[in-house]
Amino acid sequence: MIKIKNLTKKFNDLVVLKDVNLDIKEGERVVIIGPSGSGKSTLLRTINGLEIPTSGEVYFKDQLIEPTKPSINEVRKHIGMVFQSFNLFPHLTILQNITLAPVELKLMTKEEANTKAKNLLNRIGLLDKASAYPNQLSGGQKQRVAIARALAMNPAVMLFDEPTSALDPEMVKEVLDFMKELASEGMTMVVVTHEMGFANEAASRVIFMDEGKIIEDDTPDNFFNNPTKPRVIEFLNKIIK
Amino acid sequence: MSFIENIINVLIRDQRYKIILEGLKNTLFITTGGLIIGITLGTITALIKIHPHKTWLGKSLKSIANLYTTVIRGTPVTAQLLLIYFGIFASVRSLNAVMVAIIVFGINSGAYVTEIIRGGILSIDKGQLEAARSLGLSYSQSMKKVILPQTVKVVLPSIINEFIALLKETSVAGFITVIDLTNAFRLITSATYDAFTPYLMMSIIYLLLVIIIASFAKRIEKRLKID
Repeated sequence: MIKIKNLTKKFNDLVVLKDVNLDIKEGERVVIIGPSGSGKSTLLRTINGLEIPTSGEVYFKDQLIEPTKPSINEVRKHIGMVFQSFNLFPHLTILQNITLAPVELKLMTKEEANTKAKNLLNRIGLLDKASAYPNQLSGGQKQRVAIARALAMNPAVMLFDEPTSALDPEMVKEVLDFMKELASEGMTMVVVTHEMGFANEAASRVIFMDEGKIIEDDTPDNFFNNPTKPRVIEFLNKIIK
Repeated sequence: MSFIENIINVLIRDQRYKIILEGLKNTLFITTGGLIIGITLGTITALIKIHPHKTWLGKSLKSIANLYTTVIRGTPVTAQLLLIYFGIFASVRSLNAVMVAIIVFGINSGAYVTEIIRGGILSIDKGQLEAARSLGLSYSQSMKKVILPQTVKVVLPSIINEFIALLKETSVAGFITVIDLTNAFRLITSATYDAFTPYLMMSIIYLLLVIIIASFAKRIEKRLKID
């Protein structure tokens, strides 16, 4: 579904991604972990064209992603994205946050979008917040709404960029539980996270990155229980499990 | 003559209130007309300035926008009035000086509003545009539905400030024969040989207008607050 070929990304002189190759198939739940500055988020953001590759290509369902061309809008309709800082639209109600894109892009009528949004809100237990504004919600609620907003587009794949890093510790679980639920339903997911528990439990594949390269690409079982690469062993030893 | 008599002399005698009302009408007309043009022009110019242009056309538009704000903000509005009214439209007969004033103050205000709105747009977290774009909205849809509505709230105090500044700036409209509030009282001063009372009255009227605008602004700001 997603094919990344010889991807290199530089910010001025800083090389963030070095000749990365990656294939992600439908139904896979890929968790990308690694130290800060390893290029995880940048890699994720090139998949929906938020970052422009310095060289190399990214394909979504065999279509080349060209971030500066109008075709990018069509591709993005099928790729849901969840950000660390939620990025809900503060001037719109929760319901409007979810219905804006489907209605504006004429994928649904207003009624259809409202029904869809209410179903999603009901599912995350926030139907009573439909007419509230984002700043009236807790961090965990905001992030679940942000996930619902992306889901309202019926995406083929969901990208998560450190979705729990900006949350209070007590709110991490509700977001991860929702993500696990999606995973169990077979949603294709690519998740950049520091939550090892989530990686162990929900991933079908763990990718470890360091200094702009993919160091390890394995099942969670092998990755956590039988690591072979010294850099991975060093990383796992430093974190609290 | 007592001060009261002076006031009656300035405001009432020889139906002077008529010219004052005419001046008030023109001042308000030029200010609001100028502000409407200014906001329209300023929004368009700000959008041109912040757009990440890659094409030849886009880059040219950006150069024109930069030239516009540099020239307009770099010259006095009086010079712009005189140049456009006497210099450019000199040959046009039956030219409506009030209309020219509205256009000139609109163009002038637009340059300042450009910078207000540009600053407002840049103050919106860049995650907002990323979120909108990642949902598949185009750049212009994202601007219209996500960025600009948030910008309105941010720039409102500065726009009100611009409104107040513009109101007072229009006092130079008399340079191109417009009977605005200032020019009206100037004429009364010439007729009454009294400078103190008319100019004091004039200042009080400007002050009252500003107080009214400011109180309106406060009400609107309160209503826009969703916190």
